[in-house]
Parts: sequence; structure tokens; C-alpha cells
Amino acid sequence: MIEAILGFVCLALGGFAWYSKQRADKAQARLAELAADLERIQQTQSQVIHTTKLASLGQMIAGVAHEMNTPIGFVKSNVEVVRELVTEHRELIKKCLHGFDLMLAADLSNPQMIEPMRRAMTKVRAALAGDERLNDGDDLLKDAVDGLVQIANLVKNLKGFARVDRDGMDALNLNECIESALTIAAHQLRDRVEVVKEYAQLPKINGVASQINQVLLNLITNAAQAMEEGGTLTLVSRRSGDQVEIDVTDTGAGIPDNVMPKIFDPFFTTKPVGEGTGLGLSIVHKIVQSHGGSIKVRTAPKKGSTFTISFPVDHALLKQSAEPK
Amino acid sequence: MTEPRIRVLCIDDEARILRALKALFRDMDVRTTVDPAEAIRWASEFDVDVIVCDQRMPKMQGIEVLREIRMAHPRAMRILLTGYADLSAVLGSVNEGEVFRYINKPWDNNDLRQTVQLAAKIARDTPVVLDKGIDDFSRDQARREVGILVIEDDPETQQRMREILQPHYQVRFASNPDRALQVLEQHETGVVISETAGQHGDFTALIKALKQYHPHIATVVVTDRANAQTAIDLINEGQVFRLLLKPVRMGSCRLSVDAAVGRYWQLKQNPQASRRFLVAPRPDALIPSWLAGSLMQRIRLLPSRLLGMARAH
Ligand SMILES: Nc1ncnc2c1ncn2[C@@H]1O[C@H](COP(=O)(O)OP(=O)(O)OP(=O)(O)O)[C@@H](O)[C@H]1O
Ligand SMILES: [Mg+2]
Repeated sequence: MIEAILGFVCLALGGFAWYSKQRADKAQARLAELAADLERIQQTQSQVIHTTKLASLGQMIAGVAHEMNTPIGFVKSNVEVVRELVTEHRELIKKCLHGFDLMLAADLSNPQMIEPMRRAMTKVRAALAGDERLNDGDDLLKDAVDGLVQIANLVKNLKGFARVDRDGMDALNLNECIESALTIAAHQLRDRVEVVKEYAQLPKINGVASQINQVLLNLITNAAQAMEEGGTLTLVSRRSGDQVEIDVTDTGAGIPDNVMPKIFDPFFTTKPVGEGTGLGLSIVHKIVQSHGGSIKVRTAPKKGSTFTISFPVDHALLKQSAEPK
Repeated sequence: MTEPRIRVLCIDDEARILRALKALFRDMDVRTTVDPAEAIRWASEFDVDVIVCDQRMPKMQGIEVLREIRMAHPRAMRILLTGYADLSAVLGSVNEGEVFRYINKPWDNNDLRQTVQLAAKIARDTPVVLDKGIDDFSRDQARREVGILVIEDDPETQQRMREILQPHYQVRFASNPDRALQVLEQHETGVVISETAGQHGDFTALIKALKQYHPHIATVVVTDRANAQTAIDLINEGQVFRLLLKPVRMGSCRLSVDAAVGRYWQLKQNPQASRRFLVAPRPDALIPSWLAGSLMQRIRLLPSRLLGMARAH
């Protein structure tokens, strides 16, 4: 009897073992599936990160192209117009010279010649004196030079933004980074957003310029997108103890309580399909973290939001700059 | 007596652009301002012929300025001059601004000067068709008589258009250019609704050619392949009347088609006015080969039947 019971128990245990092995196998398989999923997600994520890099490159190019088309427009037009003015002026001079030639060839002993000649000369003189074309041309060229300087500055900023010439860690002035990012974002702001800047004198921080610029561009872009109907974008920089801080404040929609916990999640977006990838803030987070910094958000519905990023001041740099050269 | 000088009004938030335009148009009577509100007042006060307006300005968008001016002073021809083409601005300049040309910065001096001269001539010589449209009686008559042609090869959209339009208008469908021309040859057609492209190729080439020879036909483009450059070309080379994005909404579709029928009806009574919708000529090289031969010939030969001239005059 006991044996029978034992046998039964053994059987049951065996069955259980078999059953749990089944479960374990299933779990194992499920785990493998999950791992594969995870890998797939990670792959698509890195793919998407790559495409957003491209997207922000596209965005950057579109922005700069727009900013440049206006100065290129008037510089080109002015130079062409001045060329026309020069041609017209050359014609005028030709006429004067012709007059001179006639005068030189004329028989001045004949008093009847003098009066008509005087009259013709007075007319030419009045025309020359009243001709504003050279002055106009001068103004047009002044604008053209102005425009070229503006274009050169844009190019400089663009180089500064991408730091194509030097990647890697660098001593950065965050105020300059803000300016770079603003130039790139200008076409998103210009129509409807007023920009207020309150910069403090800042010690330098150690960082990768293109990445810090990306952080600022993403924050500014989000701010601009939160202010569909226009508003004010305030950029404040300050030193606070061992930290350098930047506030990016908008007067836009604000972030609802139920959205707030998710905003730094990769792929989380409230924007329509095709408009937002939801990677902006997760990239911001990653970059800020890798620079030993931190990020804070304050928001009020319908009033707006402030994103504050802070980075540690580099003491080595501080000492360097304090030492006399 | 010589013609009085062309009166141009330029609006841009960049003073240096305004100075450049003033110099460029130095043989014309040019007024410039950075202030949209002032521009809207000046347009009728100085009875200007042509408006050249920037799109992106801080106080007011260019298309809004042009819309206001169109209401206050419809005689003037409107040109949008912009540094950056985003799709919504281009759509707005069609649907609200009804602009004559959409020109990108940097512009070509000779082109711009010639465009302004042409626009001024049209503004002076050509009667205006007013926005108020037509009275209820004519509208009912127009809806009964004016044929509408839908060029579309997607069965789903065809079905949708049928639901929206069939109850109110004389609608006919064509899924390819050849069939479209058959319809045009057989029926008085005042409004053509079309996709930008189908499996059979680029429909915009067809719409542009049609508009070139028959400017009184109102075209409504409905598309899900929107891009800013295609839209700009549809303005300059096709004087498209309305540009709508898919999915087609019942309300906006009917409003647009009604307006288009009204526009056609007015131009039919007043054929001269269609010069206001003159298209920029397309270089022959840009006309696709499937269109260049016999189809083009058939388009050219359409007029008398199309206009229903026998009845109108
Ligand atoms: N300044 C802001 N005001 C209001 N909501 C914001 C702001 N910044 C971010 N958000 C919210 O956080 C979400 C995630 O932002 P994130 O930058 O990561 O992605 P996104 O802006 O939606 O897409 P992408 O950056 O790819 O364009 C946004 O969809 C939005 O709901
Ligand atoms: Mg974003």
C-alpha cells in the first residue's frame, strides 16, 4: 500500500518534474523570444536614432537655407542692379565726351556758336548733377556688403554648430552654444515667437560642442512646437555654485500630469504620426547624463514649461583661465 | 498719352529686401513697407497694380496680408516672394491668397521684372471676377449644367468623390488622361478635379496643359502626395484654383467645388477675365512624351465645345 502510495507520489513528482520542465522550456523559449524582440527594438531604435540625426541635419539645412536665401536674394539683386547702373552711367559719360569733342572741334571765333553751346552744356550739367544713380548704387553696395557679412556669420555659426573641424571634448562657453542653436532654429521661431535672452558671464564647461548644441536645439524645438499660436521663448544662463545652468522657458501648452512621467522615454510623443519621433528628449537626457549633468522640468498647464539643464564647472579649466598667461 | 507708370507695392520685414526691390523696379512707381497693416491700407489708397509680398513676417503671414488685400483691392495681382517654401504656406497662397505667382528667394532679376510687368498689364486691362460669386438662381443652374471631371485612378477615392459630389453635380470620372480627354470632348466641363499623379504618370502635366489653353476651367487638385515644389509649380504653371490634401473631407471638398463652379460660371459670362489666370509657359522639354503628341493636339482643339459658347453667346 505504502509502496503504491510512494509509487503514486513518485509518479506525481515525476509528472510534476516533467510538467515543470515543460514550463521551464516554454519560459525559456519565451525568454528567447523576448530577447530577440529586445534586440529588434534596440536595432530599430538605433536605426531611428540614426534617422533622427539625419532629420535634425535636414532640419538644420532647411533652417540655414531659409536664413541665407534672404540675404542672398538682395545681395544678388543689388549687384546686378549696380551693374546696370554702371552701364547706364557709362552711356552718360559717352554722351558728355561726345559733347566735349564737339566743343573742342568748334570754331570759337564764331560768336553764333557760343550761345547754343552754353545752353547744351547747362543741360548736360543739370542732368549730371541731378543724377542720383551713383548714390543709389552706393547704398545698394553697402547693403550687399552687409548681406555678405551676414551670410559669412551664418556659415561660421553652422561650422560652430556641427564642429565639423573638431569633434571631441572641448572647453565650451554655453552662451555661444545657445546662440548657435538659436541660429539653426531661427526659421521655426521667427514668425511667431519672441526670443528673450538673459545670459550671465559663464565659466567654461567641458563637453562635446555638437552634442550640447543638439541638446539646446531639441529643447528649443520642443518649446517652439509647444507655442503653436506664438509666445515667448526665454533663454537664461547662470552660474550656481559648482554648476552652470540653462533655463529654456516657453509660454506654451504645458505638460499634463499624465504625460510628464513619460516625456523622457524613447519614442514617446504626443505629436501626430510623422511629425515627432519622440526621441528628442531621450537624446537630451542621454547627452546631459554623459556630460555629468542633470535635467529638471517645471510646468504649468496652459502657462508653459521650463527645462533646466545643468553641467558641472570644470575646475581645471577655471584654474587655467585664472592663471596669468 | 503714355501709359502711367506701373504701381507696385512691396511688403517684407527685411528693409534691405525692400531697398533691393525698389532699385530693381526703378522704372516703376514703387511703394515699400515693413508694416502689413499699412500695406493693406495703401493697396487701395494708391490703387496699386501689383503686390509683391514676403511670406514669413513676424506680425502677419504673407498669405494673410494677400487675402486681406484681395478683399480690399481685388484688381491688384498678387505675387508671393519667399525664402523658404513650406507646404502649408504654399497651400495657403493658393486657397486663400489666390496668388498669380509664387517666387522663391533668391529671385532672378529679369524674371521678376517681367513677371511684375505682365501682372501689371493684366491688372489694368482685365476685368476682375469678384469673390462674391453668383446668385442662388445661377448657382442652381450652374450646378445642373456645368460638368465636373474627376481624374483619379484610386477606386476608393473615386467612390468617396462619388458620394460627395454625385448628389449635387454632373460628375464624370476618368482614370487616365485618354479617358479624361474623351469626357472633355463630349461634355461641357467647367471644373476638373485631379490627383497629382496616378499609375499612368504625372497628371499635373495634363492639368497644366489644359489650363494653358483653357484658362476658364477651374482646377481643383486633391492629393496625398503633397510636396511644396509640386504645389508651387501648380500655381505658376497651372494656376490651380484649390489644392486639397487627402483624406477628402466632405465640407471643404464641396465648398471648393462650389467655388470652382462659380468661378467657371463667371468666366464663362466674362471670358476676358480669364487672362488673370494666365500660366507661365512651360519649356517644351518639360512636357512628357505621352502628352506631347496627339493628346496635346486634342487639348488645343477643345475650346468651342468646352465653353458651351453656342449657348452663352
Ligand atoms: N516644451 C514643451 N512643452 C510641452 N510639451 C513638451 C515640451 N517638450 C516636450 N514635450 C512633450 O514631451 C513629448 C516628448 O518630447 P520629445 O522631444 O522627446 O519628442 P517629440 O518632440 O514629440 O518628437 P521629436 O523631438 O522627435 O520631434 C512631446 O511629444 C510633448 O508631448
Ligand atoms: Mg522634440
